[in-house]
Amino acid sequence: MNDVLTPQLLSPELPPAPPASSRIEFTNERPVFRRLAMRGAMLELITVGFYRFWLATDMRRHLWSHTAVEGDAPEYTGTARELLIGFLFALAILMPIYGAYFLLGIEAERLQTFAGTPLALFYYLFIQFAIYRARRYRLTRTVWRGVRFTMGGSGINYALRVGLWTLLALITVGFAMPWRQAALERYKMRNTAYGSLQGRFEGTGGGLFKRSYWMWVSLPIVLIGVPVLIVQSPGVGVTVLGFVMLVFPFVYAAFKAVEWRWWVSGIRFGDVRFESELGSEDLIGLYWKVIGWAVLLSVLLSMWIGGVTGIIYAVFGGSSAEAAMQAMQQPFALAGIGIGYLASVLAFWTVMRIYLIHDLWGRVANSVTVHNLAAAVDVAEQGQTVNALGEGLADSLDIGGF
Amino acid sequence: MDARPDATTETTVPPPAVGETLAPAAVYFDGKTNRKRQVTLRFAGGIEIIEDDRILDIWPFGEVRRADGPPNMLRLACVTALPLARLEIADQRTKAAVLAHCAAIDTVERTRSNTLRIVFWSVAAFCSIVGLAMFGIPYAADRLAPIVPVSWEKRMGDAADGQIRTMLGGKLCTGAEGQAAFTALVDKIREAGELDLPTDAHVLSSEIPNALALPGGRVYMLDGLLQKANSPDEIAAIIAHELGHVKHRDNVKRVIQTGGTSFLFGLLFGDVSGAGAVIFVSRQLLDASYSRDAEHDADTYAVDVMHRLGRSPLPMGELLFRITGKEKSPFSIFASHPLTENRLEDMKKAHRPNTGPALLTDAQWRALKNICKG
Repeated sequence: MNDVLTPQLLSPELPPAPPASSRIEFTNERPVFRRLAMRGAMLELITVGFYRFWLATDMRRHLWSHTAVEGDAPEYTGTARELLIGFLFALAILMPIYGAYFLLGIEAERLQTFAGTPLALFYYLFIQFAIYRARRYRLTRTVWRGVRFTMGGSGINYALRVGLWTLLALITVGFAMPWRQAALERYKMRNTAYGSLQGRFEGTGGGLFKRSYWMWVSLPIVLIGVPVLIVQSPGVGVTVLGFVMLVFPFVYAAFKAVEWRWWVSGIRFGDVRFESELGSEDLIGLYWKVIGWAVLLSVLLSMWIGGVTGIIYAVFGGSSAEAAMQAMQQPFALAGIGIGYLASVLAFWTVMRIYLIHDLWGRVANSVTVHNLAAAVDVAEQGQTVNALGEGLADSLDIGGF
Repeated sequence: MDARPDATTETTVPPPAVGETLAPAAVYFDGKTNRKRQVTLRFAGGIEIIEDDRILDIWPFGEVRRADGPPNMLRLACVTALPLARLEIADQRTKAAVLAHCAAIDTVERTRSNTLRIVFWSVAAFCSIVGLAMFGIPYAADRLAPIVPVSWEKRMGDAADGQIRTMLGGKLCTGAEGQAAFTALVDKIREAGELDLPTDAHVLSSEIPNALALPGGRVYMLDGLLQKANSPDEIAAIIAHELGHVKHRDNVKRVIQTGGTSFLFGLLFGDVSGAGAVIFVSRQLLDASYSRDAEHDADTYAVDVMHRLGRSPLPMGELLFRITGKEKSPFSIFASHPLTENRLEDMKKAHRPNTGPALLTDAQWRALKNICKG
């Protein structure tokens, strides 16, 4: 839109009223992303995983720069180097924590057998802390129209909220989940800002529950009913279980679509509102593709393991059973199986990245309408960037997102 | 072309001539607000950013950098301008002009040599971590274990005791005569083995044929093993083996080693994209190999003690073989102990005719066998 300018656009005194609503547009360059993800996976294999920082950065740059809000794409300004440094800092911080965790575990066990188990709770909360801080890193590296997003609040505070809400959700066998989602999202969003434009979240737990009550009602019925049925009459029970597993992706897609729509429509930045038309049909195809790939990859992996075993047996195995057993202990056999396994894991991750990161991102982005973006004109830059420690922690704890 | 921020007259300029004002060809964000300004650019001393004949800023050519942007759009930042100030250029002619003027535009972009550097350092890090896991950690464990105070080890033992006892089931056997015989046997072995750390040995009424040493010198002989034994020598060598673990402080070493490998493998490679299984297997292999070394050393100690007592260590090998049979399998490299057949082989080599007195009298041996029946 930059080359179709009309003279009055240049006048700062008379800013033209932009249309009240506009779509977010995602430019689908799937082959580019696919190459990026596949190359990244290869390099991850060669670099024993260290390439993940560069891959994550490349993927984010791609997604950010291909998503246009009123013609302007955000810029991801984070660097892989920051992620690497954040990760190394996280290691330094986690080392004493692991040590303390270990010693505490011993002391707790000494006082009472198996008393160390609740310490896993601490771990869960710590992960929530890391998730909060990682979101903060990503937001402060997101720049749109020369102004960055910022995020305040405290990771510890957030982790405590997650702890209490999760407890409540457990007590109510999941019925409190929608309210938990709403409360956590409210906390995140009221600490989020775009420049001087304050964010907030107006979605409510009741709103989410109303749109997805069927899910919350049927879930406990299925979770309790199916095992009971299997015990009572195994034949019928297993048939029902098979049916449930077949139907699950459809149900999950329907629920996720509801959740996405609810989430998007709850977001506010000042007077800017959003709305999503995401339907379950947008998601269901993606899920089945991932399931299909997973099946294909496991078949390939079994064939590979079978092949390696066969070759090793043919080369090293003798006639006796003992010689055959000895052959399987060859480092080649283990290395062959290990490499096959790693390759299939990386292939699966590439599939996940293409479908559940790139395609999902694209579909969600394309489903969104932005209302009243005019309220976001002349927003002033403010706020600071934060370091990548949170991402490093999240990464070390194996919970890195995109 | 080198970067010359102050070059006033550029001579090698393609399409747009020096000083030529281009048609509105760029969008400018000043980095203070998100106002989107349509600007014209003039290439003179630098990129002059002009709005309504007013120069908003001048970006020296040498300080202009490419920022990440959408496809078909050239997004620029400037080192000396505000960090978030951006110029966005979609027009091909203008893009070409910028690329021609700004030599240093891609200095921060990733290049092929950069990727090679990442690969090199990753491989180097991998080698150093593997080296650390294979040599550094066992060395550190050997050096650190003797420094750990016995009282700490005892605390760990107390913590482990509850779990172990719950898992094994069974109660402490307290038959008075049997306990006296057991203590006498343990004391003989302690003396012969020159063990000066405190020990606390008991028989547990569990069916499992095994014996174990916990941190802090607590040793359990399980009744299942006792019932399978045919002579005091068999039991004595097993106790000597467990006391060998106590003397070598293998439990402390094990804690240090497991902690070390978990840390190295779990954290550093924690996110090799879900390669958790490979990490788990590698850790098991490594831990098993540490453990086999420790077991082998404890066997050597047991053989030594039996020699000093003037008894043959062979019965222990026979007892083990009676319990496990031949162990060789495809999973032997995951085994925590040396294969029983190999242990039996070692004990056969160490066999010497008995020269010392029997370790227990027949009456004592009977009492020990019946320790859990009281």
